Parts: sequence; structure tokens; C-alpha cells
Amino acid sequence: MPQAVEIIQKQKNSDQWDEPYLVNMGPQHPATHGVLRLFLELDGETIVRCDPRIGYLHRGVEKLSENLTYSQAMVLTDRLDYIASAANNVGYCLAVEKLMGLEVPRRAQIIRVIVCEMARIASHLLWLATHALDIGAMTVFLYCFRDREWLLDIFEEICGARLTVSYPRIGGVRLDFNQKIIDELYRFTEEFPRRIPEYETLIDVNRIWLKRTKGVGVISGEEAVNLGLTGPSLRGSGVRYDLRRTRPYLIYDELDFEVAVEYEGDVYSRYRVRMKEMREANKIIRQCLDKLAECEGEPVIAEEAPDLLIPFSKPKRPQPAPHPKKGFLVKSVEVPIVPEGEVYFAIEAPKGELGYYIVSDGSGHPWRVRIRAPSFVHISALPALSEGQMVADIIAVIGSVDIVLGECDR
Amino acid sequence: MSIVKTIFLTEIMKGLSLTLRKLFAKPVTIQYPEEKKPLAPGFRGRHALVRDPKTGKDRCVGCYRCAQVCPAKCILIETERDPETKARVVKRYEIDALRCIFCGYCEEVCPVNAIVLTEFYEYSGYSREELYFDKERLLQNWDEFIVTQKRPYFNPFWKPRGIPERKLPAGKRQAEGI
Repeated sequence: MPQAVEIIQKQKNSDQWDEPYLVNMGPQHPATHGVLRLFLELDGETIVRCDPRIGYLHRGVEKLSENLTYSQAMVLTDRLDYIASAANNVGYCLAVEKLMGLEVPRRAQIIRVIVCEMARIASHLLWLATHALDIGAMTVFLYCFRDREWLLDIFEEICGARLTVSYPRIGGVRLDFNQKIIDELYRFTEEFPRRIPEYETLIDVNRIWLKRTKGVGVISGEEAVNLGLTGPSLRGSGVRYDLRRTRPYLIYDELDFEVAVEYEGDVYSRYRVRMKEMREANKIIRQCLDKLAECEGEPVIAEEAPDLLIPFSKPKRPQPAPHPKKGFLVKSVEVPIVPEGEVYFAIEAPKGELGYYIVSDGSGHPWRVRIRAPSFVHISALPALSEGQMVADIIAVIGSVDIVLGECDR
Repeated sequence: MSIVKTIFLTEIMKGLSLTLRKLFAKPVTIQYPEEKKPLAPGFRGRHALVRDPKTGKDRCVGCYRCAQVCPAKCILIETERDPETKARVVKRYEIDALRCIFCGYCEEVCPVNAIVLTEFYEYSGYSREELYFDKERLLQNWDEFIVTQKRPYFNPFWKPRGIPERKLPAGKRQAEGI
């Protein structure tokens, strides 16, 4: 692509506007949900080309984790999708546990499902709030933040932090729930289904909302699969793909919930999917709370779980010589902390499929971590979603694929 | 959408009636500087070194576990041997609060519960030095914090709920409130 400055100079000097009009959107734009820069090529008010530029929030999380031990690297995953940090933590811990072959106690598994679903509701509430605000409905924003605040208070009660929770740890969770948290969660699950109709009253049939969302950013199911969309963005196109059902982890196979699917593939159907998912997540939390009562008093950490303080490199242990007759030479042998090998584990994070690919060389730190972030893939699908749309619709499209730049740039 | 609904703006009227009802509901806003939200026990806020009520000093034994486990590497410890008693003395214990990411690993691994993240979040400074806590400042943080608390004070990370006792060091197993 030619330099933007050159083209603008050309356009200034010529009488005719034969070049397409270039608009730079972001990185400091309130509707890009972070620091996303879009390079738009316009023909009148229609988008001819959309070119996303990323990397403004790059912190090198993958590289940093190579210099930290497994438990230290977990706190970095908080900072990926900072809206649903509990889900990131759980995904990372599950990947490391798969590598180590750890079996997590049942109570810890149930607690992990609860915090994952709480993170899902919190993420979807923030998504609805900001998406509605972008399109022009401010009241929904305030109502959503009111309810999200309640969830963050529960997170604070659980682990002492509201946003960057760092709650799970390898082999379980750090603290058990107490009765106060369980009572509060029961009250939340009781009350929350009554709050969702409030948002729906405001926007679900509102004619402005419908005009801004219906038939905008349409993508067919096949194309969505080809682009690698996952999560609500894919299910809005009629593809029934949810890792909680297709490849169950934790205790999801015991739970009774529906996979929310809509078939139109536009912004409105993605909105409907997320609204349904909030209801289902609420149902899941309710079921898990009932299951939690069955295993009262059980430990929340596996017996073989590593200490929080894992040694960074392989410790050397003295090993006697293989043949005693050949002398008393004592050899020191490196003992692996985490078995050598590689592992990929993906969970259904609120935004989509969040995968961790970890390569271990046997020491206490990962040799390589690769994060398959849903937001990164969703941004790569933005051109396909927005080309041919009006310039005002790009805001609805960005909002509907639900991106977080912390996760995309990592 | 039927003609009647289109003309009478029914869905917009419904939305407006909801907001009108909310006008008379109890407000959820907290007028922050004047009124404050009660914090949950175990909130991970400003750092402090626990002042032992028996000795009047800090409890740190200089085992370096917190410095090792810290993902941000913001804890600096220096120890030396007392020439007379041969005991280990903590010479320097410093935390750079601006580097800290408040994961709470330090208070979880500490075998004697010497370090704690207090339930205090309103601290800011005009310079970096103000937020670089040395040992005296950390003990002072504790004194400032503990007077606002109900006694005995017990931090949940001193003895994490649901963790089997045999996985905890002796100091954590016998942890008591202050």
C-alpha cells in the first residue's frame, strides 16, 4: 500500500479525486475498544478496503513467560483478556496440568467452572455495554455496569482482586469458597435473570437498534469457519461449535446447558447469541453451586500439585554410579520438574477459542508458549466483515466481533 | 412491525417507562470520596510487613521465598549474619510498589506470614521514591493499617481455605489473628 502521506499530497494537488479516499481510524478512537488502528479506503461512504493494523499493546507475554516459572507465568495470562481474566487463568492451568498429567480435585473443578462462567457474564455485560454505547444507547451501558459491579464484588470476595484475579493455580485453586460467597452467588443467580429483560426492553426491539444491527456485517457459516472465527461470532452464523460441548473439559459434560446458535450471521444475531449465553451461564453457575454442596470440605488442590515456588531450572540430584564395583563415583543427574513434551489445550473463553500451546524442556519454566487468542483471529476477519458496508457500520462490526486488544497484541 | 406499533412508538415508550421507573429506585452510585465501599477481607492492596505484637519487630526470617516467587521481581532482600549470635538478620527489605502486580504470591508462600497485602488502596505519590517502600516504611504501613481494623485481624492468605494442612508450612498451619 502506498504511503498515506503521499496519497493525501496527491489528492491535494489534483483537481479530480480519482484516488480512493483514505481515512485513518484509531489507534486513539473510542469505538475501537482499545488501540486498534484501521486504515479505511472509502468510495464515497462505502468501505472499499479495510486494513487493520495491530501491535500498539504488544507487551511480549509469550516471550516473558519463557523467563518465568510456570506458576509465575500464570499471572501474565490475567493481562491478556483483562475483562475475563479468570477464564484465561483456567485455560493456562489446564494446559500445564495436561502436560504434567495432574488430576484436579472435583471441588476445584466445580469452582473453576463457576469462575469461568462468572467471567463470561462479566465479559458479555461489558461487551453489551460498550457495543450499545457505540451504537448510541447509553442507558444500557449504565445498567450493564451496575450488574458487572456486583460480579466484580464477588470476585473481590473470592480472591481479593477485582480484575486481575490470578485465582486458579496449577493443580487447583488458591482459596476455597466460603459460605458468604456461595450465598452471594445464589442471590446473584436468583436476581440476574430478571436483569436481562431490562436490557432487552431497552434495545431488543428498538427500531434504531434494529436498523443499525440487522443485515450489517453479514457472514455465512462457511466463510466464518474458513476465517477461523470461534465463539459467539461463529455461533451467530449458525455453526454449532462450542468447545464446552464438542471437547468437554472440567465438568461441562455433566452440566445441562444449551449451545446458543443464531442463523442470520449479522450483528443482531451475534448480539442474540451473547444474550442467550448469559442466561445459559447463569444456569451453569446455579447447577455448579448445587454440586458444590455435595463435596463440602474437600481439598481444592491436588495432592501432587507443584509448590507455588517451582525452581526455575532443573535441580541436580546426586545419583550413585550404576555399577558399585567401579568405584564410589557419584554422578549428578538433572531431574525434570515438568515432563518434557508439548501440549495444546483450548477452552471456550467468552471471546472464543482460547488455546495455549506449551513446549516444555523439563525445567521449571516453559520453553515456548504460544497463545491462540480469539481476538487476533477476529481482527483478521474484520476486512471480510466490513468491506462493502457503510463507514458508520464499521463501529457496529468491530463491536459485534468483541475484540480485546490486550489479547490480540499480547 | 405493525402500523400501530410504528405510529405509537410502543417499544420506545416501553423503554422510557423502564427508565422512568428506575428514576425512583434506590441509586446504586457511591459518592466515592465521601462514602466508601467496604472491602472484602484479603483484598490485595498496599504492602506491609507485619509487626509482631510480642517483639515489636517484623517477623521476616530472610528466607528469600517471596523474592524468588515474585513474577515482577519487585522485592529486594539483603541478609547478614549477626557476628555474636550467628543468627540471620534481615538488613534490607524493600518493595518497589510501582513494579508490583498484586498477585499475592508473596503472602501465600511466606512461611511465617511476615508480608501481607493490606486492605488499603488509597496511596499515591508525587515521586517514585514515595512508592518505594523500605523496611521502616513497610512497618509503618502496617501500623497505619491495623488501627483501622477490627481485632483480631486475620488475612485469608495466611492460611488459605481448602488447602490441606500438610501442604502448608508450620508457620501457616499455626497462623493466628493479630
